[in-house]
Amino acid sequence: MAHLDIPQTTSTPLISFDCEAKTLRISGESYPENSFAFYAPVLAWLKQYLLDNRQLTIAITITYMNSSSTKCMLDLLDIMEEAYGRSVNVSIIWHYDLENPRSFELAEEFCEEVSFPFEITALNK
Amino acid sequence: MDLYNLRKQFDESGMMMCFNGPFSHSIIEEIGTALRNHLAAENIAKAAVLDVFAVYIELAQNVRNYLALRELGHGDTAASIITIARWNEGYMVSSGNMVLQEDAALLCARVNEINAMTPEELKRSYKEQMRREVQPGALGAGLGLLEIARHSSAPMNCSVRTIDETYVFFSLSAFV
Repeated sequence: MAHLDIPQTTSTPLISFDCEAKTLRISGESYPENSFAFYAPVLAWLKQYLLDNRQLTIAITITYMNSSSTKCMLDLLDIMEEAYGRSVNVSIIWHYDLENPRSFELAEEFCEEVSFPFEITALNK
Repeated sequence: MDLYNLRKQFDESGMMMCFNGPFSHSIIEEIGTALRNHLAAENIAKAAVLDVFAVYIELAQNVRNYLALRELGHGDTAASIITIARWNEGYMVSSGNMVLQEDAALLCARVNEINAMTPEELKRSYKEQMRREVQPGALGAGLGLLEIARHSSAPMNCSVRTIDETYVFFSLSAFV
């Protein structure tokens, strides 16, 4: 399985897989020059990983996402949902800053799209 | 060149930031960062800063994607304007760029259609569009104007100036 480790930039999030914790971390902001090109390798990795493995948590701390990134995020959720349908143990933990209600609202809208465990939790309680 | 009059006009219209020229992705990033630092210094809520930033990003990326799609991103048609100005208690973010005649009418119709939507209709329409298949080679997901409307506190405003038989100059303003 190819390693997935994309460093953070101003307009793209860190995307890094922790093999031991079976956790994919996505954190930062997302407004790439071309969202589809940026997320294509991530979606390909995820698809393959969920065919070869039975467990994955995605831990997301995204403060801002542009509209084309939300479309890519929906594609990511669809891949997870499909795996969940094959009884793969998938879940999302979405962390948001209490001072940033937009990140919470975004998480809520994504949560409405899936049936697998999706936890939304404040960073600074 | 005496820039005093230009500056005076900016001050009188509440202009905070203005960029005129060809946009690159790194320019969009840089102006965005400057805009956020500027707004953070005004002591407004974090959510409000992000709303202005979100509208700015969608407008700027819409312009850039449109010019790339129509292959207008070089030469005389490349230069575009983006401005951020004070407006009532909030902010006005505007973009201006060259648009093909036939696209301008469609764009205005789409803006008016979105302006007429209630928040619930906007949310539904956003989700429907998000579910739509993206055309191969597309740079955006067709969500930009809906996203802008969802962050806006007043209807968007567009205006069109004819340049010649092929082009118009298209201005679009959003209010946060």
